[in-house]
Amino acid sequence: MLEKITVKDLKFYYGANLALKGINIPLYANKVTAFIGPSGCGKSTLLRVLNRMYDLYPGQHAEGQILFDGRNILEPGEDLNLLRSRIGMVFQKPTPFPMTIYDNIAFGLKLYENLSKSELDGRVEDALKRAALWTEVKDKLGANGLSLSGGQQQRLCIARTVAIKPEVILFDEPCSALDPISTAKIEELIDELKHEYTIAIVTHNMQQAARVSEHTAFMYLGELVEFDETSKIFTSPRDQRTQDYITGRFG
Amino acid sequence: MSTADETMQAIPHVAKQQRARVLLGMALGDKVFALATQVAAYLVLLVLAGIILSLIVGAWPAMKAFGFEFLITRRWAPQLEPEPVLGALAPIYGTLVSSFIAMLIAVPFGLGIAIFLTELCPHRLRKPVRLAIELLAGIPSIIYGMWGFFVLGPFLANYIEPSLVAAFANIPVLNSIFSGEMVSNLSLFNASLILAIMILPFITAIAVDVFSTVPPVLKEAAYGIGCTTWEVVNNVVLPFTRVGVVGGVMLALGRALGETMAVTFIIGNSFKISGSIFAPSTTISAAIASEFAESSGLHQSALILLGLLLFVLTFFVLATARFMLMRLEKRAGA
Repeated sequence: MLEKITVKDLKFYYGANLALKGINIPLYANKVTAFIGPSGCGKSTLLRVLNRMYDLYPGQHAEGQILFDGRNILEPGEDLNLLRSRIGMVFQKPTPFPMTIYDNIAFGLKLYENLSKSELDGRVEDALKRAALWTEVKDKLGANGLSLSGGQQQRLCIARTVAIKPEVILFDEPCSALDPISTAKIEELIDELKHEYTIAIVTHNMQQAARVSEHTAFMYLGELVEFDETSKIFTSPRDQRTQDYITGRFG
Repeated sequence: MSTADETMQAIPHVAKQQRARVLLGMALGDKVFALATQVAAYLVLLVLAGIILSLIVGAWPAMKAFGFEFLITRRWAPQLEPEPVLGALAPIYGTLVSSFIAMLIAVPFGLGIAIFLTELCPHRLRKPVRLAIELLAGIPSIIYGMWGFFVLGPFLANYIEPSLVAAFANIPVLNSIFSGEMVSNLSLFNASLILAIMILPFITAIAVDVFSTVPPVLKEAAYGIGCTTWEVVNNVVLPFTRVGVVGGVMLALGRALGETMAVTFIIGNSFKISGSIFAPSTTISAAIASEFAESSGLHQSALILLGLLLFVLTFFVLATARFMLMRLEKRAGA
C-alpha cells in the first residue's frame, strides 16, 4: 500500500507542554484512517500538525518529520498556502464563510484557477454533487451559506474542501455537532471520497470509526498506543489500554 | 420517636423562621433600591428632554426670524444694522466637510491598525500597541488644539500645502479644492487632520473588538483552503464584521461632528465658504464656542439654533451607529 503521508518521530509542543510524544504513523493513499482516543489524547493536535494549522498560533511548534509524497512538510521553507490546498480540512463545527452558497465554493476555486463563469458554474455544481448537497441547494445557490441546516452546512464545507481538489482530506470530528441522519450522509460521503482522496478522520464515536475506516489508530496521553487494520483494533487489540477503551472501560 | 429525630426537625424550623425574617427585611430594601435605580434612569431621560426643550425655546426667536432660510443662507453678519443677517450654511458646510475629510483619513488608518493588531502583530506587542493607541483617546482636546495651532498648522502651511497646491495646479476641480489662494496656518485641512487623529482610537478600539468576534475556526477554515492573511481578512473577517465596523465608524463620526475645543483653536473661525480646504473655515461647535460669550438677542438665539441642528445631526448619526452595533450583537448571540 502506498504511504501518502508518513509521520516520523513527531513531537509537538504547546509552549513548553509536550502534546505529542514521538508519533510514527502512515496514512495510506485512498484509505480512511481513523484516530480514536479520549479527549486530550492529541488526535486533533496531530491533525492540525498535518496541514500545519498550528503555524497560526505563536508558541506552538513541531519536531520530527511529516513526509507528504516523500517531502518533509515541517521544513521552514514549505509554502503553507499551497500545502493547505493539497491537504484540506473539515472542522468539528460547520464553518461556512459569510457569503452565498455559490460563493462559498467559488471563492476557494478562484484562489487557484482562472475560470470562466460557465467553467466556474460547472465546478461548483460538481463539488456540490460530490458532497451530496446539489439536489438540496440547486435552487438557492444565491442564499447565504449560514441559512442552511447544520448537516447541510457541514456538507457545504466538504464541498468547499473537495472543490479545490486536495489530495488528502482531514476530518476533525465532522459529525459531533450533527444529528444521526446527517451523520449517516457524511459517513456515506467519506466512503465515496476515499476513491479519490486519502482521508484521516478524528472521531469520538467508535462505531463511526469501525464503519468508515480501513485503519484505526488509538492514541492516549500524546502517544500512539496502537495502529492497525480497523477490524483488528476492534476485535483483537494487542494493547490492554486499547482493549479497555473500545470496551468502554475508560475514556 | 427518639429525641434525636425531634431535634433534627426543630433546628431547621427555627433557622427557617430566622431566614424568613431576614428575607422580609430585605424585601423592603429591594423595593427601595429598585425604585432608586428606576428614578436615576428616568432622571437621565428627563434631563435629555429638558435639554432639547430649552434648546428649542432658546432657538425659537431665530427660527421665527429666519425660518428655513437659516439653513441655506451663507452670510453671517450679527452686527448688521438694522437687522442682523444670520445663516447656518457656512458652519454646516465646515462641520460636514471637516468630518468627512477626517473620516476619509481615519477610517482606513483605524481599520488598518485594527487588522494589524488582530491578525498580524506578534502577540507580545498586541497589548502595548493597543494600549498606546487607546491612550490617544485620553489626551484632552485642548492639547490637540494647541499642538495643531503651534506645530501642525505651520508645518502644513509651510511644507505640505504648497506641494499639494503645486501637484494639483493643472487638474480641474482638484486645483480648486487644493487652491493656494488663502493658505493659512489655520485651516479646514488642519482641523480635519486633528479630528482624524482624535477619532482614530475610537475606530481602532471598536474595530479590534468586532474583529475579535470572528470565530477562530472560521478563520482557520479559510486558511485551511490555502488563503493568505489578506484573503482571510478581505473575504471572511471584513464581511463577517461589516455591520459592527460601520457602527464603529458612525460612532467616530458622531464625535468628529461635535468636537469643539481643538477645532475652534485651529479652524480659523471664518464664516466664508471657500472651495479650498486650505482656507480658514468654521464648524457649528466652533462658531458657538467662539461667539456665544459676546452674543445677545437674535445672535444668541441663532447660535442656540445652530446647537439644536448639531444635536439633531449627531443624534441621528449615533442612533444609526447603535442600531447597527445592536444588530451585530443579536447575530453574535444567535
